[in-house]
Amino acid sequence: MATRCQYESSNEIGVFSSLTNSYALCAIGGSENFYSIFEAELAEHIPVIHTSISGVRMVGNMTVGNRRGLLVPSTTTDQELQHLRNSLPDGVVIQRVEERLSALGNCITCNDHVALIHTDLDRETEDIISDVLGVEVFRQTVAGNALVGSYCKFTNQGGIVHPRTTVEDIEELSSLTCVPLVAGTVNRGSDVLGGGMVVNDWCAFVGMDTTSTEISVVESIFKLKGEAGGDIVKDMRASLIDQLS
Amino acid sequence: MSTGQILNILCCLCGTPTPPNASATCTSCLSSQSDITRGINTEVTLHQCRSCQRWFKEENKWLGCDLESRELMGLCLEKTSGLKPKRGTKEEHKIKLTDASWVWTEPHSMRLKVKVTIQKEVDGGVILQQSFIVEYIVRNQQCPGCQANFTQGAWKHLVQVRQRVGHKRTFLYLEQIILKKQASKGALSIEVFKDGMDFYFGERGKGERFIDFLENEVPVKVKKSKKLIGTDVKSNISNYKFTSLVEIAPLCKDDLLFLPKSLARAQSSISRLTLLKNVGEVMSIVDPVTGQTGTVSGGDFWNETFRPLVTAARSRLCRYIVLDQTPVLEEKNTAKRQTSKQRRRVAELTLMKESDMGVNDDQVVVKTHIGYLCKSGDVVLCYNVADTNIVDDEAHEILQKSNLQDVVVVRKLYGGGGGEGEKKKLRTWRLQRLDMEIADDLKGKKAEDKMDEDEEDFLRELESDREMRDRVNLYKYAEGLKRKEEEGDDEEENEQDDQKVQLEELLDGLDLDAAPDEGDQMQIGGVDVTLPEFDESLAYGGQVGFAWEEGSRAQKDGIGFIDRAEKVENKTQAVQIEQFGKEFMKGSFKFT
Repeated sequence: MATRCQYESSNEIGVFSSLTNSYALCAIGGSENFYSIFEAELAEHIPVIHTSISGVRMVGNMTVGNRRGLLVPSTTTDQELQHLRNSLPDGVVIQRVEERLSALGNCITCNDHVALIHTDLDRETEDIISDVLGVEVFRQTVAGNALVGSYCKFTNQGGIVHPRTTVEDIEELSSLTCVPLVAGTVNRGSDVLGGGMVVNDWCAFVGMDTTSTEISVVESIFKLKGEAGGDIVKDMRASLIDQLS
Repeated sequence: MSTGQILNILCCLCGTPTPPNASATCTSCLSSQSDITRGINTEVTLHQCRSCQRWFKEENKWLGCDLESRELMGLCLEKTSGLKPKRGTKEEHKIKLTDASWVWTEPHSMRLKVKVTIQKEVDGGVILQQSFIVEYIVRNQQCPGCQANFTQGAWKHLVQVRQRVGHKRTFLYLEQIILKKQASKGALSIEVFKDGMDFYFGERGKGERFIDFLENEVPVKVKKSKKLIGTDVKSNISNYKFTSLVEIAPLCKDDLLFLPKSLARAQSSISRLTLLKNVGEVMSIVDPVTGQTGTVSGGDFWNETFRPLVTAARSRLCRYIVLDQTPVLEEKNTAKRQTSKQRRRVAELTLMKESDMGVNDDQVVVKTHIGYLCKSGDVVLCYNVADTNIVDDEAHEILQKSNLQDVVVVRKLYGGGGGEGEKKKLRTWRLQRLDMEIADDLKGKKAEDKMDEDEEDFLRELESDREMRDRVNLYKYAEGLKRKEEEGDDEEENEQDDQKVQLEELLDGLDLDAAPDEGDQMQIGGVDVTLPEFDESLAYGGQVGFAWEEGSRAQKDGIGFIDRAEKVENKTQAVQIEQFGKEFMKGSFKFT
């Protein structure tokens, strides 16, 4: 299921939260509404962690993680690091990264097996990513943008990329990530996918402006619909995947 | 980055596959969401003056333009509110006008219709293009000019031009220079009187400008007066009517002058008996015997006024036949700079009175400044000084004493110089006339005959003076040219004669009694089109001042025209375009 939500009337929820298969991070806000939505959906399965990164609320932009680990920028305070260590489930590794491009969420996107990273990241960072997150790392661009974290989002089920990505690029990215990809938008035509949505293998949150068409694209490519999914969505998924093959 | 094919995405609103654009929305959703024609007035009122057919542009500005013309289109678009960007609008939010074409309307419906195409950037950087119809309602409103014309006594400044002489040649000449320089622009009406003309102006400045013009053209004396019509003491505003009397020196071209002594002395002791060669801002005089020239300024004249000894009237001029011509090479006068050509102009002519031909054998030998123009057989006009009654006592005395020659040659007669009895020869040229009212005392057979005579004299003057012709516009006269061709040019060419009317001097395009038949043939888009006869069922009923063929004027001006047969929607669906029109991007667009 994809859920629409807003962080203090901003639709860019991917900036203020991050979601993996084993935990979720949520920014500390003026009210608990945003947190409550996550809590309601996820509390049964995974911990939802209230945190800030180096004192700012943009936890989604600054961090990147998957089932196995979490990378935080070097500016993260010790206190925050300690809090995260305490809250994260056992077996999730947390690691501070000394990287000039400190908005890790914008520069890196990953699922549990593969990570696409910004072309200018340090080699040491690349090593840390593959060690901590346990993924294969590829330096890539999406539709000419180096900020792969902003313009591309994928899980173990599927992924969505910038609407202007060419067929060749989609095919290449799809073969790297080994999941089906589709070009799409969120938040009523916004192409900043990483900013507009957070998603894991069974659950997605999108900005409040996202239209039903966009939601159905998201649900079908990330396989979030239960078996009872409508025929229309199936057809749509079939047609979208047809276009790719 | 590879530049391959880009996949369709689903429109974020309706789910239709669509090529990705800035708002990820399909065209139909975009156009249903944002109406780029919002705020543009589609029903506009235009005002037209019924009598002069001009269109109201802005305060005190009325524009004369044809239906379907480019100018009218400019006016229409300017009057359409919402098309012009408001001040401070960002460049990307401005409406770009890319096309406008006329749509046929019933001629009597008082409606004009324009199909306007605009482009505008909507949110998300998508550029939409949309066409729609703007309807203009034509309302009648009298323009201030016509209001003034229809109201008696609306004039503010009356310029009375007077010359106290017995003929109207000066005014005929003045009329021609006024026409050439369009000096009477702004005059409400023009009236002709026995010895002058009245020009009525609606504004004081326009009259003043006209007086300035006159001062540059003829030697004048101006007397100004004003009459108080009303005054508002509270606001210190007074309403005056101005009257200026402009008196023109009573000297005309070809008059025989007897200069006052002081004036003659000032002109390097020119002979006191001189011919007035030319009247402009200054008067140029010439000694008919030696060819010596001089100038008398208006100021000199008004300081010491004098009357001409003999006025160049038809009754005073005698026709003489040239029997023989001998050039006279004058001794070089070192005091006066003269070119050799000038010195060679003087010639000795043997003349015989035309009326004496076959009666007696009286011949006269005279020296004349126009000798170089003449050859034997030519007709010249002369003053017979010996036979003339001279009013001026002093002149009479001096002329008696001196042994001046009896005959003074004034000018050579050209083509139009047939005698009064003879059938008049057709001229190859014509003059334009001013639109004037003629006073009552100039109506009637006698006055009209006199007027015709003056006119003929004026034409002859023009014919024999190239310099004078330079200052006026001569137009080709087709009938005269045809006649001349048929008859063949029987005149012998005189190589030396530089005063004759040449065909190259004449201008095209004056249709004095132009009926619409002149426009039978019309060029439309480089193709000759024969226009049909007047017909009620025709476009615009074939009315004068309307385009003859629907759309022909628009085509000439390069504007689109939508025929009455074509159906046009009031507003088309907006379509998305990749970028603003190339034509538009090239230059800065301006209304009108």
